[in-house]
Amino acid sequence: MKKSLVSIGVAITVALSAQFAHAETKIGAIFDLTGGLNIYGIQQNNALQLAVENINANGGVLGEPIEVVTYDAQSELSKYTQFANTALLRDHIDALFAGLTSSSREAIRPIVRKGNVPYFYASLYEGGACDKQTFVTGSTASQQLSVLIEWAVNKYGKKIYIMAPDYNFGTISAHWIHEYAKQNGAEVVGEDFLSLAVTDYAPTIQKIQASKPDFVVALPVGANQTGFLEQFSAAGLKDKIGLVSTNYGSGNQQVVVSPAAGEGLITNQGYFMHVDNPTNAKFVELWTAKYGNDTPIVSVAVDTWNAVNLWAAAVNKAGKADAGDVIAALESGLTFDAPNGTVTLEPGSHHLRQNIYIVEGDDNHGFKTVETFTDVIPSYEREKCDLIANPTLAKHFTPDDK
Amino acid sequence: MNFSQKLYSSAGVVFPAFGTIAVLASSGLIDPYLAYVATSWIIFGLLGLSLDIVWGRGGLLSLGQTAFYGLGGYFGSVIAINMAPVTGNTLIWSLPAGAAFGALSAAALGYIIFYARMGSLQSTILSYTFTLLLLVLTQTFRLDVGDAVIGGDNGMSNIPGFVLGFGSAAEALTPNSAFATVVVIAAVLYFFTRWLMRSTFGRIVNCVRIDSQKTELLGYDVRKYQLLNFAYAGAIAGIAGAMFGAWSNYLNPSVFSVSEAISVPIFVLVGGLGTLAGPFLGALIIGGLSFWLGGGSVGGQTTLILGLILVLLVMYLQNGMLGGLTLVWKKFLPDSNEAARLAGAVQIDTDVLEGILKDAADHAGPAKDVSSTNLFKQFGGVIPVNKISRHFTTGRPYSIIGPNGAGKSSFLKTCVGIYKPEGGKVQLGDEDITRSQIFDRVKKGLGVKNQKPQVYGELTVLENLWVAAFSRTRNDADALVICNKILGMLGFEKQSGVEASALSHGQQQWLDIGMVLCLAPRVVFLDEPAAGMTNEETRELSLLVRTLAKHTTVVVVEHDMEFVRTLEGHVTVLHQGKVFAEGDIQTVRANERVLDIYLGRREHV
Amino acid sequence: MELDYLATVLLSSLASASILLIATIGLAVVFGLMGVINLAHGEFLMIGAYAALTTTKLGIPYILSIPVAVLITMAIGAVVEILVIRRLYGRIFDTMLATWGISMAFLQLAVLIFGTVTPGIGMPQYNFQIGDYSLAGYPILMIGVAALMMAFVYFLMTKTVYGMKARASIQEPEMARAIGIQSARVNTMTFAIGCGLAGFAGAVLLPIVPATPSMGSVFVIKAFLTVVVAGPVTLTGSALAAIGLGGGASVTASFLTSVAGDAFFFLITATLLWLYPLGISAKWRWKM
Repeated sequence: MKKSLVSIGVAITVALSAQFAHAETKIGAIFDLTGGLNIYGIQQNNALQLAVENINANGGVLGEPIEVVTYDAQSELSKYTQFANTALLRDHIDALFAGLTSSSREAIRPIVRKGNVPYFYASLYEGGACDKQTFVTGSTASQQLSVLIEWAVNKYGKKIYIMAPDYNFGTISAHWIHEYAKQNGAEVVGEDFLSLAVTDYAPTIQKIQASKPDFVVALPVGANQTGFLEQFSAAGLKDKIGLVSTNYGSGNQQVVVSPAAGEGLITNQGYFMHVDNPTNAKFVELWTAKYGNDTPIVSVAVDTWNAVNLWAAAVNKAGKADAGDVIAALESGLTFDAPNGTVTLEPGSHHLRQNIYIVEGDDNHGFKTVETFTDVIPSYEREKCDLIANPTLAKHFTPDDK
Repeated sequence: MNFSQKLYSSAGVVFPAFGTIAVLASSGLIDPYLAYVATSWIIFGLLGLSLDIVWGRGGLLSLGQTAFYGLGGYFGSVIAINMAPVTGNTLIWSLPAGAAFGALSAAALGYIIFYARMGSLQSTILSYTFTLLLLVLTQTFRLDVGDAVIGGDNGMSNIPGFVLGFGSAAEALTPNSAFATVVVIAAVLYFFTRWLMRSTFGRIVNCVRIDSQKTELLGYDVRKYQLLNFAYAGAIAGIAGAMFGAWSNYLNPSVFSVSEAISVPIFVLVGGLGTLAGPFLGALIIGGLSFWLGGGSVGGQTTLILGLILVLLVMYLQNGMLGGLTLVWKKFLPDSNEAARLAGAVQIDTDVLEGILKDAADHAGPAKDVSSTNLFKQFGGVIPVNKISRHFTTGRPYSIIGPNGAGKSSFLKTCVGIYKPEGGKVQLGDEDITRSQIFDRVKKGLGVKNQKPQVYGELTVLENLWVAAFSRTRNDADALVICNKILGMLGFEKQSGVEASALSHGQQQWLDIGMVLCLAPRVVFLDEPAAGMTNEETRELSLLVRTLAKHTTVVVVEHDMEFVRTLEGHVTVLHQGKVFAEGDIQTVRANERVLDIYLGRREHV
Repeated sequence: MELDYLATVLLSSLASASILLIATIGLAVVFGLMGVINLAHGEFLMIGAYAALTTTKLGIPYILSIPVAVLITMAIGAVVEILVIRRLYGRIFDTMLATWGISMAFLQLAVLIFGTVTPGIGMPQYNFQIGDYSLAGYPILMIGVAALMMAFVYFLMTKTVYGMKARASIQEPEMARAIGIQSARVNTMTFAIGCGLAGFAGAVLLPIVPATPSMGSVFVIKAFLTVVVAGPVTLTGSALAAIGLGGGASVTASFLTSVAGDAFFFLITATLLWLYPLGISAKWRWKM
C-alpha cells in the first residue's frame, strides 16, 4: 500500500514537471553528444528534436504531443547498453532512436528485442541487420555501391583499387566492390585496409601507383583519415586516377579537406544538403532557423528525421503506440515525402528504398550533383531478410568472404 | 585494545560484510532499473579489484587489466552461448572459463614482464601495448565457434544473461536477482582476496612491492610471486569480463579501448589504492557520477568534468576515499609506534648468539667457503672489478677496505649477483654460482646486508623478521620461534609491534642484521654495517661479527679503519678494482703505498 | 621489385619516421629531463594545430603562424606545470593519470570552441617524380624539419644556460641544488619547451593531418611508445626508436598491408622492451 502511494506521488510529480502533461507517447534518443563521434551524434539529435517539434506543432501523434527522453552516449559503447536499458526499464519508451556505429546498433538490438520496442537505426552502414524490432533508415553499402561502381566503371575504366578501413564497414564494402566490379566486367587490381589509427598514407599511395588503377574507391573514416585525400592530391594523382567514395562527406569531411584536394572527388549518399526539391527546401529552412547554417546538414540527420516521421505515421495509422501494432503498421509499405525524395519502408527487410545521389566536390567545400538514382532497392537485405515470411529472424547477415 | 582499535583492524571485513548484507537485503526492493545499472558498477568494482591486487599490492600499474577482462569475457561468453541450451545455467560455464582464460593470458604477459625483470614504467607501457594490440587485432577478428559468432568490430551478440536454474526451461534472472547474484559473487571474491592477501603469499607479495631487491636477498623468487599474483588478478578480471558479457548480452573490441583501460585506475584511485574494498566504492562513485552527468544535467560536458575530477583526485585525494578516511581515523587511535622511543642500546649476549648460530648450523649444515676467480665487471669505461681472485673461509672475519671508488661494494654486489659479471666466476662451497639468480644463491647459504639498512618500513619489527625466517623454514610456527630468539638477542622484545620505519637508523641496521641471521646463512656479506652507528653500537657489532666468523664465513666491506682493527681479521685492500695489498691490519697499516692511496698522495693514485 | 619503387618506399618511410619523430620529440624532452610522461602531449599538438589554423585564417601567412602556435602552447604548458605537474613531482604514475585527465578536458574544450569540423589549410600541391612514382613534396620536407628540430634541441641543451641547468638537475640533482639551481623554475621551462615542441609539431604537420579535436590521440600512442622504447637518452634514443619503429612500420606497410605495419609497430615495441627492459639507450655512455 505504502509503495503504491509513493508511486502515485512520483507519478504526480513527474506529470507536473513534464512539459507535456498528457503525453501519450514517449520516445528515447541515444546519440553521441560528446566525445569523438559527436560530429554525427549532435546532428542526429538535432534532427530528432526538430522532427518532434514539427510533428507536435502539427498536432502530434494520436492527437497528443510526443515526449522525448535524451541520453548522451559519450561516444562510448558501454553507454549504449546502459542507456538502452534505462530507456526501456526506467523510462518505458514507445520507440528508440539510437546509434551511429554498427557496434552501437549491435549492442542495442538484443535489448530492444528482449523488450519488444521498435528501434530505428539512422545511419549509412555496411548492411545486413535483420530483426523484427529494428528499422534502418540509412542507406546500405550494397545500395550505394551498386550504383556507384557502375557509374565509375563507365566514367573512369575497369581497374579498381580499394582503400578501406579495417573493420566491418570496410571489409564488407570491399566485398560489394568486388561483387559489382564482376557484374560490370571490371577488376579489383589492389586493396589496402587501414586501421583507424593510421596517419601514414605514404605506403597506400605507393601501392596505388604500383597497381595503376583507373579509379580508387576510398572509404576514409572520420576527419583524421581525410589526410589521405590531401596526400593523394598533393602527390599529383588526382588528375590521373579517379577517386570515389561512399562515406566522404557523411561527416562533413569536405569542410576539412582543402578545396585543392576536395574538388572533383566523387561521393554518393542518400542525402546532400544541396538536393533540389521543395521538401528539402522547407526542411533546410526549418533547420537553419533553429540551428543556424554554420555546418552543412549531413545524411544521418535526414535519416533520423525520416525515422521519426515514419514512426509517427505508423503510430497514427495503428491508432495506438503498442509495439506489435506499430511494427505491423511499419510493415504496411509506408512511404514518406522526405527531404531526400520519396522513401519507402520495405515490409520484409525493414530497410528503405530511397534515392542515391552521386555528387562531385566543388572548389568551395561543397558538392554539386552529378547524377540521381531514384528509388534504389536495398537488394541484399531484400534477398536475405524477409521478416514477413519469417518474423522470428534475428541475425546480422554478412556476405561470406570479404 | 579498545573497541575503536578492534574495529579499525577488522574494518576490511566488518564494513564490506555490512555493505553486502544491506545491499542483498534491499536488492529485492529497489527499482529494477537501478538494480540493473548497479550491477554494472559491481562488475567494474571487481575489475578495479583485479587492478588493486596488481597495483596496490603487487606494485605494478597494469593497463592490461581490461585485456584480461575482455579476453575472459569473450572466452567465457563463447562457452556460455554454446552450453546454455544444454544446461540452462550459464554461470557454471562462463565464470570458470573466464577465470581460466583471464589467468592464462595474464600469466603469459606477466612471464614476459617479470622474467625479463622490466622497469616499472616499461612494464606499464608493455601492458598498455598488449591492450592496444588486442584492440587492433580484434577489429577484424571473425570466427564462428559453434553457436557463437565473433564478428570483428560488430562484436559478439546473443550472449545469454545470468541463468541460475538448470534445464532447457531455465530463464534468465530478473534484474534484481541478477544484481543479488553478482553482489554475492563479488563478495565471495573480495573476502577470498582479502584472506589471500593476509596469508603468507599475500605478505610476501607485499614485501616485493615495498622492496623487491631485499625480498630476493631473503631468498624469495620474486618473479614467481609477482607472476602468480598477476595471474590471480587476471582470473578476477576474467570473471568480471564474463559477468559483463552476461550483463550487456553483447561484447565488442571496445572493451580493449584506451578509455576503458584508463577508467580502471580511476576506480582504484578514487576508492583508495591497496585497500581492496576501495575499487568497489570508486566504481560506485564514478558510475553514479557519469550516469548522472550523462543524463544531461550539465549540458553534456561529461568528459570535461570527468577529466577535471581526475586531476583534482590525483592532486588532493592521493589515498582515495578509503585511504583518506583511514588516515583520519588513525589519528584518533593510540600511536602503536610509541615503543620505538623506549628501546635501549643493543647489547649482544654472545651465549645467546652462539646458541642461535649452533642451531643454524644444525639445520643448515657447516659453513661454506666462497671464492672468486678472475672476477670482472665493467660499466662503460669504468672497471670497478678487475679480475679479482679471492678465497674466503670460516674462522676469522675478512675485511675489504679501500678508498672511495676502489670497487669494494661493486665486488660484493658482483659476488652476490646484484651485478652480472662479464668474466670470471664465483663459487660457493664447490658449486659454481656465477650465473645463479640472487634468490638461488641465498637459498644455497648466502646472506647479504647492503650498505643502507633494508627493512620493510610499513611492516612491524616482528613481521620483518618473520619474512626472513619464513624464507628458510617455510613453516609459520618454526619461523616464529626463530624470530623470538633474534628479538631476544637484539633486545627488541618490546618493539616487536613497532613499524620498522619508526626505528632510528642504527636500530634499522640491527634489524637488518637480525633478518640476515634469521636466514641461517653459511656465508655472510656485510656492506659497511657500522655506518650510522654510535661508538657503543659499533663495539657490539664488532663482537657480533667476530662471534659470527667462528661459525660461518664472514666478509665485511668497510670504510671505518678503527672498526676493521677491532675485528682482528684478514684485510684486503682494493684500489681501482684490483687487489692492492693484504695481510692483517698491522701489516696493512704499516704499508706506505696503502697510506698513499688513502691520503691521495701522488705515487700510486 | 623495381628500383624506383624501392627508392620511393625508403624515402617515404624515412619521411614517416620523421613525422613520428617530430610528434615525439617534445614528449621525449619532458620525459628525459623531468622523468614525466605527459599523456596530454597529443592535446598540446592539437592546440598547436588549431593555433596555427586560426592565425592563418586571420590572414597571417602560414609560416608565421608556426611561432605563434609555439608561444601559445608554451604558455599553456607553463600554466599546467605550475598548477598541476609541480605538485606531483616524483610521482610518475600520478602524473600520468593527471595529464590524462587534462587531455580529456582539453579535448572537450576544443570541441566546444572549434566544433568538430574546421576547414583545413590543405597540403602544398607540390610533388616530384622517382621513375614511375610521384611523391607529395611536403611530407618529404619533414625529414629536414625533423633534423632541424633535433639540431635545435641539441643546441638548447648544450649551449644555453638553461640547457646546462636542466641537464644538471636531472643528472646530479643534489649537486644542482647545492650550487643554487632552482629546479622548480627549470622544470617549468622544460615542460613549457616540451609543450612548445608539441605545438610546433601540430603546426608544422597541419598540412598533413587536418586539425580536429581528436587528432592528438592519433599520434600520442605511438609517440608515447617511441619514447619508452628509446629510454633515457633524449635525442639519439628517440631518433633511433622513431626510425626503427616508424620507418620499419611504414616499410612493412608498403610491402604487406597497413594492418601488418601496425602489428609490426606493436610487436617490435614489445620485443625491444623484452630485450632492453629499461629502453634501448639505458646503457649508452652518450647522454644526448
